[in-house]
This record gives sequence, structure tokens and C-alpha cells, in this order.
Amino acid sequence: MRRTTQQVCLTFLFFVGSRALLADGGKVQLQKQAGPFLITVFSDPSEVRVGRVDLSVLCQKSEDKSAVLDAKVFLHLTKPGGAEIVEFTVPASHDAATNKTLYAAHLDLPAAGKWKVKVDVRRDGDEASVTGDLNVLPKQPLLVTYWPFFVLVPLIALLFAINRRLRRGRELRHPRALR
Amino acid sequence: MDSVALAALQSWPWHPWTVAALVFIAVLYGIGWVRIWRQVHTHQDSTRLGCFVAGLVTLWVALDSPLDAFDQLFLSAHMTQHLLLLSIAPPLLLLGRPVLPLLRGLPKRFVKEAIGPFLTSPGGHQISDWLTSMPVVGLLFAVSTVGWHFPPAYELALGSTFWHDVQHACFFWTGILFWVPLIRQTPGKSRWPAWAPIPYLLFADLVNTVLSASFVFAGRVLYPSYESVPLSGISAQTDQTLAGAIMWVPGSIVYLVPAVVFTVRLLSPERTIAEEHPVRVPRRFASGQQLLRAKWLPKARRFAQATMFTVAVAVIIDGFVGTQVAPLNLAGVLPWIHWRALSVGALLLVGNLFCMACPFTFVRDGARRLITPKLRWPKALRSKWLPVALLIFYFWAYEAFSLWNSPSVTAWIILGYFAGSLVVDSLFRGAVFCKYVCPIGQFHFITSLVSPREVAVRKQSVCSSCNTHDCIRGNQTSRGCELYLFQPKKASNLDCTFCLDCVKACPHDNVALLPVLPGQTLTEDPYRSSIGKLSKRYDFAALALLIVFAAFVNAAGMTGPVMMYEHKWHARLGPHAMPIAVGAFVLLGAVIAPVLLVTFCTICNRLWVGRDRIWEISRRFIYALVPIGVSMWAAHLFYHFATAWFTSLSFVTPIQILCLDAGLLLTLYVIVRLAGQYGSRVSQTIAIAVPWAVVSLLLYVAGVWVLFQPMEMRGMVH
Repeated sequence: MRRTTQQVCLTFLFFVGSRALLADGGKVQLQKQAGPFLITVFSDPSEVRVGRVDLSVLCQKSEDKSAVLDAKVFLHLTKPGGAEIVEFTVPASHDAATNKTLYAAHLDLPAAGKWKVKVDVRRDGDEASVTGDLNVLPKQPLLVTYWPFFVLVPLIALLFAINRRLRRGRELRHPRALR
Repeated sequence: MDSVALAALQSWPWHPWTVAALVFIAVLYGIGWVRIWRQVHTHQDSTRLGCFVAGLVTLWVALDSPLDAFDQLFLSAHMTQHLLLLSIAPPLLLLGRPVLPLLRGLPKRFVKEAIGPFLTSPGGHQISDWLTSMPVVGLLFAVSTVGWHFPPAYELALGSTFWHDVQHACFFWTGILFWVPLIRQTPGKSRWPAWAPIPYLLFADLVNTVLSASFVFAGRVLYPSYESVPLSGISAQTDQTLAGAIMWVPGSIVYLVPAVVFTVRLLSPERTIAEEHPVRVPRRFASGQQLLRAKWLPKARRFAQATMFTVAVAVIIDGFVGTQVAPLNLAGVLPWIHWRALSVGALLLVGNLFCMACPFTFVRDGARRLITPKLRWPKALRSKWLPVALLIFYFWAYEAFSLWNSPSVTAWIILGYFAGSLVVDSLFRGAVFCKYVCPIGQFHFITSLVSPREVAVRKQSVCSSCNTHDCIRGNQTSRGCELYLFQPKKASNLDCTFCLDCVKACPHDNVALLPVLPGQTLTEDPYRSSIGKLSKRYDFAALALLIVFAAFVNAAGMTGPVMMYEHKWHARLGPHAMPIAVGAFVLLGAVIAPVLLVTFCTICNRLWVGRDRIWEISRRFIYALVPIGVSMWAAHLFYHFATAWFTSLSFVTPIQILCLDAGLLLTLYVIVRLAGQYGSRVSQTIAIAVPWAVVSLLLYVAGVWVLFQPMEMRGMVH
């Protein structure tokens, strides 16, 4: 029974541990000093790809690095080059952020390539802007994005095959055990 | 409070999968705990329950609290998270002695058939013995803990969501493995000498101490990522020292306190742990099955029917007099978006609950108090061919005339349904409309083949001694089964409307809503009351095949590529040709393709099983496709349901794929079981199964393709 216990522990807790597949990420994409502010831009997922992306802005006072929570933050994204110039501006807010010390915006980036990011911060008459590049990779194929869900089928099929084999072995060892 | 601190405390991420997994485990444990507690309980039951819940809460705090939101900014927050994952949650969970409760929480047959062979196999024992032996686990613990804190590995985790997940998984799992040898799950002698835990725990503390000290005394920032993020108030170096201190002090306590306990135990004269004395207690509460056998269920059914009737009336009225903008009208939203998804959800979670609460039979039952039907349904129509034709017509009309987008037409359809059931059942005896006409009912009958509950007899022996057969004949308390299902010979949910008349009528209290293994009846071909053997029925096979393939056709019809294709033909054939283009698509996908595929499988199987009974065999295999078809219906309808309720839809596609996965696996399982019944050798079994497995894989691929296409959103304002 003790052995059984150990095996089952490992099995059932797999489900809980599988949450780890959804851990939060985030990467510093841009950090610059502008006026009285130090502005840092994070992205989640860390590799920015075409499609849904979460850009977060940490706005701090330059002198003591304390977080500024009452500013108005706007993100301007421009995709230069090519026949068409894609450009849009979105407000970033605490509401859209998981970490409430950040200002976040959820964007749908339509094209891969190098984008220009401009962050505008306004607070009590102080204004600051920083610009930088954001490298956007092509969209991942959906099969790649959701691969863990497709792996489940062969995995469970394999477990089923092992299950059958074990049952057969057990039947041969103890013919009446499984009745 | 400081505004930054307040903002930090409000930073609760919301990971629905985390919460769902934890709630699922908690519910499973809770069910098992209650089941065990009903039979035997000890003084430690509450403590165990408390420990397990505390373990789950700790996991939740580690993964879904501000700690998670700040782990990219503060090493100290990240270290606290790791401490919880590695050293706090695992022992708490294991102190909850989760094995038995979790096993008891699962269906008994699943545990026996699916998990049992793994638990009892000698190979499994060897692996688990090896994997949970103190030297191996100690080494794993050290490698995982130290390895992940090497700057390159740690930076990798910080820069990649995937590796961050792997890091957390490693900590949690090595934590579980580490504590398994120390927290025995059942009474009995440990395989390790009583002194062994002491050096084991001291070794863990040593690893922890060396690592913590390296943080505290490094003299430089070990992880450049934290240096690049400017912190409010404290420097990255200070944050690192704080992280080291968190790891050092509470981390050491976790190992040293148990080490002291084991030492005291070793040195104390009575080292034996007092065996628990289980107390047998009489059952005081009704079990789930007893509740479902209860006589109140038929009354509840009447209430549900009355409610559904009221909703149907509201839908009809709004459909006729309300705005004709479908997403703003009850007739555009309730029947097509909510009801369809909820009824399939109910079928998969419980059983045929919609037929149980059917508003059409509610009216019919009322009318039968005034009119007694005298006629018998014509023999020629006593099959499923009429509903098959009606279903094909419906699948075509739904897309061709955008029924979902027309509240007034929807209201007419519902009204027509009421009239149809009223006329048919006022003229003909029995539940003729349900059995031979209603397309919705037929859809539910086939879908309920994979339901986890069935109206069935509890003990066949009770029925053998029964002479009155009230379940079918009826008595003064209740009418008998109007669909002519004789309970002792009834197998599966086919043709069962869950009306529960038989439950009410049975004088022996021997009929109940009982749990069954979903899809179990698909592997058997017994004589079924009022149906016969399914392998002999062409009409049932056609119905099943239609419902399976229509799942894919119906969903594909709403995707961009298919709609473009239809519009192309529409433009080519003329202004009124859209119904023709849609009709061609439905006919091809829901009728011609399945017939061709089944013929192909039959021809392949003929090589292995000969000509005799070959079509009979094929008819049995057709039912194996039901799970994948039902899963496609569920995935598709869930999408519309979710789009009507939620704005963020990131969770939808994973759930849809999981639905398809489950359907495919069940289908493959049934195929393998059926092939095993016809193949005498393994090679023959495989050869018989392969063509059907190929068809099911094709359906799976088609389903995935459909799910990945841009799909028209319905039931919401665009």
C-alpha cells in the first residue's frame, strides 16, 4: 500500500503541478530616462509575436526610483517601412495590468518586423516620452502554440497500451486477480 | 497605507487554469474524504483535511497571488514563491494523506481498470521505490535546487515563460518527492531506519544554507535581469540579500524542525507511533445514489418542465414582438446559443436533462388529461428514418436561412414544435413524438450514449422476481414507460427521455439514475428493449453517423474558408442559389462523405473478417465514432456560449482541443475493444481497427482545422 501511495501521489499531483505551464513571464523591452521619469517597458510573452501581446510600463521617479501610480500613460506603436504604415495609440492602465504598479495595454499586433514604440507619460504638468524598438516575430503556428494539448492524445494512448500490457502480465501471473 | 503597497496587494493575477486545477483536486479529495469518513473515521480526519486544504491554499498563494505578479521585479518575491512551492506546499499536501481520499473520489471502475494496473505492477513498484528512496530524492533535490539557481539557468527561466514553468514544476515535484519518504501515507513500518530522516533533512538544510549564503554574501548581483529592473526603495543587491535571508531562515526551519522531531523520537524510549484506531460509524447520510433514487425526482421534473415552458413562451413572445436583431432578442440568443450549449454540457456531465425538462411534453401531458389518443403509430414509420430526414433538413435550413439570425422564424419553429408534439401525441398512443419524430430528442439519445448517468435497474435479481412489470405497464401511482423500454432489458440511454416514470412506478424502488462509464455501452451489443440489437438496425446507425458528421459540417459551415466557398458558388450560380450551395455542402459532408468512409472501412474489414455479417460489424463500429462527434458538438457549442459571456477568450481553444482529445481517445478505445471482439489474433485485431482509427483521426484533424479557423460569432452584437 505504501508503494501504491507513492505512485498515486506522483500521479495526482501532476495535475496541480501542470499549472506551472501557465506561469507568468515578462521581459524588459525598453528602459530609458526621460524628464523626471524612468520608464521601463515589459512584454508578456517575453518573445513578442504577431497577435495578442501585453505591454506593461513601469513609471518611476528618477530621483528615488519610487513608482508613479497616478500618471497618464499612452503607447504609440508604428510599423514603418513597406507599402503601408501601421500605426496606433492605446492608453495603458492599471486596470489592464496584473501587477497594479504597472500600466498595461493589451494589443493585437498585425505584422511581424521591427516596430517603433513610443511611451508618453503625463503627470501633474510633467511630460516625458521615450522611444525604442520592439522586435515582433511572426505568428507561431497554432499547432505549435497548443502542442501540449495535442501531445495528450499519444501520451494517454501510450499509457493505455502500457495499462493493457500490465493487465495481461498480471492475468498471466494471477489468473483470477482481475476478475 | 502607502499607495505602492496598496497597489502591490491588489495585484492578484487570475489564472483560471490554476484555480480550476486546484478546485478539481479539492473537490476530488473532498468527495473521497467524505466517502471514507462515512465508513470509518479517526481522530485525525479533520487535521488531514485541514493540512490538505492548507497545502492547496499555499499552492494558490505561490502561483496566483501578488508573489507571482512581482516575481519578475523582486528576487525576494520569487524566492518566497519558490520556498512555498518547494518546502511548504508539498509537506502540507502529503500530511493530508491524499492517496486514499483521491482514489475514493474517482469512479471506482476507473481506479480499478485504469489506475490499478499501474499501482500494482512490479515494474511500477521498482520505479517508485527507486524514485522515492532517500539517496535518490536527496540527490534530485540538490540538483534541482542548486541547478536552477545557477545564473545562466535562472536567467533562462526569467526570460522564457516555458522555462519559468519548467523551473516551478521542478521545484514542486522535487519537493513532493523529497517529503514522500518522510510522511508515510499509511500506518506500517517504514522501509528506512528510524535515524535515516535526520541526516536526510540535515543534508537538505545544508544545500539550502549554502545556496542562501551565496545570495547573502555574493557581494554582487547574481541575476542581471533584476539589476536591469530598477526597484523602488531597495537596490537589487539588497533585494538579493533579502531573498537569501528568506531562503535561509524559514527555509532552514522547514528542515530543522522535523529533524529535531525525528531525533527526539529516536531518543525517546517509546519510538513506535501509536497506531490509529479506526472507528466504524453507522451511515447517517443518504448517499448520492440514494438521493438520485428518491421519489422527489419526478416532482422536480415537473417543476423543470414548467420552468422550461415559461422560458419557451417568453422566447416565442419576444421572437414575434421583440426587436428582430438576433443578439438582442431572446429567440436569437436563448435557443441557439445558451440552450444548445447547456443541453450538450448537461448530457456530458449528467445525462439527458433536456428531455427530462422538455416543455413540449409538458403541454402534451396537459392535453392528454382531456384527450385520450386511440391510434397506433404506423408500422412503416416505427424507425429513425423520419427524424434522420428531419435532421438533415434542419442542418441545411439552419445555415441556408440563417435560422439563428431570425427571431421570428425561431419563434415559429418553437410554436410549430409545440403544435407538432401536441397533434402527434393527441392522436397516437405512447410517446410517439419523442420516439419517432423529434429530431432534438434523437440528437440527445445518440449523444447520451457517452453520458455518465443512466436510468437503470439496481439489481437484476429484483427484476427477475417481479411479476407486475410496473416500469413498463404502469400502475396507479405512475404510468409506465411510454417509449416501451422494459427496464431489465434496457441497455444504454437510447430512446430514454429521463422522464423517470419508471422510477416512480417501480414498487421495489429498484430503478434509479445510476452512474455508468461513459461510452461503456458502445462496446456491447446486447438485445435492447424496444430497439433490438443495434448491429441489426440501419436506421440507428444512420442516425448516429449523421449526428457525428453533422457536428463537423455544422461547425465548418460557420468558418471563414467554407463561407467564402459557399459565397463563391452563390455568386456563380445566381442570386437565389445560396441554399443550393449550402445544401451541397451539407449533403457532401453529412451524408455522402460518411457513407463513403464507412464503405471504405467495410471493404477493408472484409479482407479480415470475411463477407458474413460484414455490414453488421460496420454498424457496430459506427457507434464508436459517436464520442468524437459529441466532442465536436461540445467544442463548437462551447465556443458560441463562451463568446456570448466572456470578452477574453484565451481559455476557449485549449478547452475545445481538450474536448476533441477526450472524444478521440474514447473513440479509439471503443474501436480497439470492438476490434478485439472480431479479431482472433493481435494482427487481425489491429487490421480491423486501423481503417476506423484512420477515420476517427481524420475527423479529429478536421475538427482541429475547424477550431483554428476564424469562426462567425453568434449571439452577440458585432
